[in-house]
Parts: sequence; C-alpha cells; structure tokens
Amino acid sequence: MSPAAEPAANGSALDSIESIQGRFRDRDYVCDRSLATAVFLGLKLGRPLLLEGEAGVGKTELAKVLAASLGTRLIRLQCYEGLDVNAAVYEWNYPRQMLEIRLLEARGEADRVTAHDIFGPEFLIRRPLLQALEADADGEPPVLLIDEIDRADEEFEAYLLEILSDFQVTVPEIGTIKAARPPRVILTSNRTREVHDALKRRCLYHWIDYPTAQKEFEIVLARVPAAPEQLAREVVAFVHRLRDADLTKVPGIAETLDWAAALLSLGSRELTGEIVDETLGVVLKYEEDIRRIRGETARTYLAEATA
Amino acid sequence: MTTPRDPTDPAIVPAPWGPEVDGRRLLAESVGFGRALRAAGLATDLGAAVDFTRALTLIDVGERELVRAAGQAVFVRRRDDREVYDRVFARWWRRRQRKRPVTDGPATAAEDETLQDQESGLASPTGDEGTLGDHSDTIDGIPMPIAADDDDGSEFDGVIAAPTAYSSSELLRHRDFDRMTAAELRDAERLVDLLEPRLELRRTRRYELHHHGRLLAPRTMLRRNLSTGGQFTEWVWRRPTKRPRHIVVLCDISGSMERHSRLLLRFVQALSAASSVKTESFVFGTRLTRVTRLLRDRDRDRALARVADSVNDWAGGTRIGESFRDFNLHWARRTLRTSGVVIVVSDGWDRGDPALVATETARLRRNCHRLVWLNPLAGTPGYEPLAGGMRAALPFVDDFVPAGTVASLERLGEILAGVRSGDTRRGGEAAASADAGERHSAFVAHLIEPPAALGAGSVARASARPLGGGGSQGA
Repeated sequence: MSPAAEPAANGSALDSIESIQGRFRDRDYVCDRSLATAVFLGLKLGRPLLLEGEAGVGKTELAKVLAASLGTRLIRLQCYEGLDVNAAVYEWNYPRQMLEIRLLEARGEADRVTAHDIFGPEFLIRRPLLQALEADADGEPPVLLIDEIDRADEEFEAYLLEILSDFQVTVPEIGTIKAARPPRVILTSNRTREVHDALKRRCLYHWIDYPTAQKEFEIVLARVPAAPEQLAREVVAFVHRLRDADLTKVPGIAETLDWAAALLSLGSRELTGEIVDETLGVVLKYEEDIRRIRGETARTYLAEATA
Repeated sequence: MTTPRDPTDPAIVPAPWGPEVDGRRLLAESVGFGRALRAAGLATDLGAAVDFTRALTLIDVGERELVRAAGQAVFVRRRDDREVYDRVFARWWRRRQRKRPVTDGPATAAEDETLQDQESGLASPTGDEGTLGDHSDTIDGIPMPIAADDDDGSEFDGVIAAPTAYSSSELLRHRDFDRMTAAELRDAERLVDLLEPRLELRRTRRYELHHHGRLLAPRTMLRRNLSTGGQFTEWVWRRPTKRPRHIVVLCDISGSMERHSRLLLRFVQALSAASSVKTESFVFGTRLTRVTRLLRDRDRDRALARVADSVNDWAGGTRIGESFRDFNLHWARRTLRTSGVVIVVSDGWDRGDPALVATETARLRRNCHRLVWLNPLAGTPGYEPLAGGMRAALPFVDDFVPAGTVASLERLGEILAGVRSGDTRRGGEAAASADAGERHSAFVAHLIEPPAALGAGSVARASARPLGGGGSQGA
C-alpha cells in the first residue's frame, strides 16, 4: 500500500463509481467498472456484498482496500467448520466472573450480589460480529469482512441471516444490541460449497473473474513496483497461458504477484526456461501440475509469452 | 399516458441522470425484468426487483454497462447464472431502447417479431412483455405470483443446472424414461428407505452436551456452577455431533446403460429427496451434466423429464475419462468435500483412453472419503470386469457392487452405512491400497492399458472386490 494514500475523511469520498475506482487505484487495487458498481450499490443500498471467485483474485483484499478508502476499521471474521456464536459474536468471561464472585465473597458482599454485577458489559468478550455492531455512532461504520463463508457450516450461515438483515444481536443477560449505523459487510466465498439462497438473497453478488492480461499487468506494476515492465509483461503472459492449460489449480493473481516478487528477489530481469523450472512452485501448487508444465511445456509457453 | 402527472406525487423522484422519474414506472420495469429473468431460470424474487429499482435511481440509466452491472449485482446469485442474465439483459435493453424515443411510456405493442425465435431456450414470450407493456403505470396491475412460485416452472427446463443445454445446434434426444411403472417406483423408494437410517456418519466439528461424552464442556460447566460460587458440583460433558456423509452420484446414461439408468436415476432421485442426506447428482455419457437441482423437484416425473431435456447425450457413447476429468477439475471442489462418498453408476464400457480413466479415477478417489462403483453387469454370473474403462478404474475403487436389480442394490445400503458385518477393515484396506495406487497413478496409468497385462488374476488382486459371495461372480 503506498504511504501517499491518505485515508478519506469520510465515506462521501466514495459516492460515485468513478471515485471508487480512483480511490481503490490509489491503494494499488485495480478494479473494473462492474465490480466498482457492485461496491457502490452495496454502500448506497446498505446491502452486504457477496464476492465469489477463484482463490487469489483479490476478494479479501477488496475488503481491506474498502476499509482503508473509507478511513475506517476492518473487522474480520474468518469462518471455519464449527464456528459458533461463542466464537463469532460474544462470550462471557467466566473465569473473571468466578474471580469476581470470590472477591465479593471475601469482602462479605456475596449475599447482595445481583445478576447485574456479574453479567455486566465488562464481563462480555466481544467477538468480531458484536464489535462490528457496537462501533460508535458518530464515526464511519466499520467494514465487516466475513471471510470464506463457504467454510462455515449451514448452522452458522443460518445464524448470519438474522444479523445481516437486522444488524442486531440479542444477549439474553443484557438485551438487544443494535448497530447505530450498520457496518459495511463484505462476504467472500471460494465456492467449496454453494452458499444458501436465503443468505444470497440478502446480499448483492459479484463474481470476480481473472483479469485481462492488460489489467493484470497493471496490477503487477502497482503491487510490485520494483518489477521491470519487461518482466511483469512476461510473467503475466505466462500465467495467462497457464490459466488456459486445464490445470488442477489455476494460479490466481496472488500467485502472479508472488512470482513476480520471487523473480525480482532472485535478480531476474526476464523469464528464461531454467528460471521458470526452478520457481514454478511459486505459481503451481500441485505436484501433478508442476510435473506437467515443467520442462518442454514451459519452454513452449515461454516462447508464446515472450513472442 | 392516461394518468396526469402530479408534481407532488411522492412516486416522482429525482434521478442523477435526468430531471425526474416516475418511480412506479421504474419499479414496473424492474419487476418486468425480474420476471423475464425468472422465466429464464434465475432464482430472483420481488425483493431483488425492488433493489434494482433503487439501484436505477442511483446510476445513469442511459449507460448500458452500468445498468447491466447493477442488475447483475442485484439479480445474479451464482456464477453460472451470469450467462443467462446477460442474454435476458440484452433482450430487455434492446426492447427498452426501442420504446424510449417514441413516447415516454413503454410501447403497448409488445409483440416482438424480431425476438421471437432468437432465444429458443428462454421460453415465456408471454409473462414479461405483458408486465412491461401494460402495467407500467400502476403497481396494482403487476401480477403478484412473482415472489414465490417454484411450482409452475415448466417453462425453464434444464436452464438452471446446465447452461449448455441452450445450444440448439445439438440435437436433444428425449428419452421416454420419465414414465416409470409403479412397481419400479416402489422399488427405488424402498431402497432409499432401507438406506437412509444406515448412512455412514461423519463427525462434525460441532458438539452437543451428552452425559456419555468424553470431552469436558468448560463453558457450560462454568456457567452452571456460577450459582455455587465457582465450586464445581456438576461435571458437564460433550461429544461431537454426527451427520450423514455427503453423497455425490455420477450416473452413466450412455447407450449400454440404457436399460438400467431409469431405475438408477430413480434411486438417485429418491436419495436426493431424503432430507437428511446432502446429495449432488451428475449424469454423464460423452460429457458431464449436473442434475442436482433438476432432481430436487417434488414432482418426480417432471424432474426426470427435465433431466431428460437438459441432457443431450442420452444413450450415446461413453467417455468416462473425460467426464471424470470434467468433474475433478470443475465440480469436485464445489460439490465434494473430502469427507464425501462418491457413487459411480456405470458398466465401465468406455470409448476413450483407459489411461485417462485410471488417472482421473485415482484423482477422484483422492478427493473423497470412499469411492463406490455400482455396476449393473456385475450381477450376472461369470462377470469379469473386462471392459477397458472398468479395468482401468478398478484399482482405485473402494467398493465394487453389482447393481443389476434392486435386490443387489440393497447391498449398497450396507456399504454406505459402512457396514461392518465382520469386515470393518475392508474400506480402510481398500483406501490404503488406493492411496498407494494414487501415488503412482500418473506413472501407472499408461502401464495399465495393455489388455493382456491385466487378466482376471490381477483384478482379484486389486483392492476392490465384489461383495457378492466371495469372487467376482457376486449374486
């Protein structure tokens, strides 16, 4: 992220599709018009935005850039199977409650204890979802990133429905906590399973595709500024050729960037057959893919890429 | 238009792209567009149309790409729908453009000669045009069943699961398999009834309190013991909850399987209807088609008819290797978690390259918990897996089951249930050797192909074995 980019004073900076593209570009995130439109509508309509796409196309990054552009906090919830309310929303700090009871006992005040004394806000551990709802009313609401929702199980997804439509949670001992201003919500999914329709209905949806070669070239230059243009162009062309090659795991933009950075740190100014063979593991993550591409095939692709 | 415009009308809203706009007309247009999308198979609802209306007041509606992107964000909910969306959008936009310059109201002559034939797959020339044309000025006039009618979907056969079904160039061969005798139906259902309570369970990462659990439940325990001031008077235990494993069925519907595929699809259908199990279904012949959503229809006959409509290689040749490859590359990550059970229903007659079948079956095996192969031919006495594809795939199959009749299909129940009758080790053993196989799969693949190299003896040596009475002459 370039240090020059100052956080915006408030959200009004993102009040048009062009300004979103521009702001994101300032933070080295190249985004096309249809994605910018989806973000814009999400902000304007107050709807969560569900981003799907192959791994490494910049879904998570978008949330970070959005938070930076809005000059607000990013609250991230990483999903996994078995994620439950206690890990996602709130939990009581039981050890502390115990200590408190002992303390009151020691002081001889135990008989005057009411539930309020040990179920007060100071004993509440706030997990990401609650944090996002409790953010203060005057500032810009935070960006809530619910990452890889497809990894959570259906039970958690069902729970999210409630939060995403009303932006409130109920803690039985305290009452209902409602967001003064709803957070901007970004959900991402890698589609290891289909997200339930009920959840999708509450969201705007955007599928992030692999970028065109030109756009990816811009991304490489923005993210790996030290990379010479020649190298960047070759790397992008080679990766694009790989994406057409029917691989088990197609390299994403993240891999392109990693590769460019790796080549740079090896001091390469351009791609050669040997260097490709040596560093292929940065781009391809499956043994069978590497075995298929390394050597002859890589030379052919390289010839096409540098042509 | 008939109604005079009242400047104080709350429905008249300012828009960024023009002086003022009648919100009702925008809404009517959005709803009409939503209906057209719905007719084409997208799962949209009225809420999305309302969102689209709001979106239209925020963007420049003169710019095609913006409107397209906005509608996409609102209406499209899965990647595969984008193609359909773009086609419907193109049609809608053209019609809108034509209407605009003439009058400020939508043209009433909604009959659209030029568009009649060009989207053969997007049926329903009726619904959307009526809405766009006639009801543009009054919300009351908009027919309401838009929001929830899953049951009159006869217009959009096959569109949801298989965008490829659009291509009119390919001849759709409609097999008359959707009419099934009552007896066959009963058989298929009986099978699932037998199966369901015995499906193999998988431990989830969720826990339930249980007094026979082996893990402490500290959270609950602390909570319950708060009343005693932190003196632990009660121990609370928990254990993982269990769920049936996901099932993915890959059903061969090529010519050689014709006699069996009807019954087997019924079986697959009955399985997907069973609520406790998550089932994904695919059919393949020369290529793979996902039919999960089609089979979910409550009307079973219509569901099968839709499958027939959406699949265009009924009773053609078989390319097992390519179909598996397609599954591995494009569907495995989405539909199959490594904890799932894959059931392949095929006789193994394959026109493609056996080496490819071997490689791809190995890969498939690696991605699932257990690979079951149902072979309708294997029930016949004296059966040997001689078909090229079958022989190539066999080393990687955990359970090889004859499936000629419902009676022998019942064995599948035992297998899916992980039974157990004295041979609990079978699955693990097979898996282990399949893992061993897989490590060399890429190298082994081409060694497998010469037919002479792998006779009956080596099949017997292979990890997978028919369940029936000992040898491969099961049942």
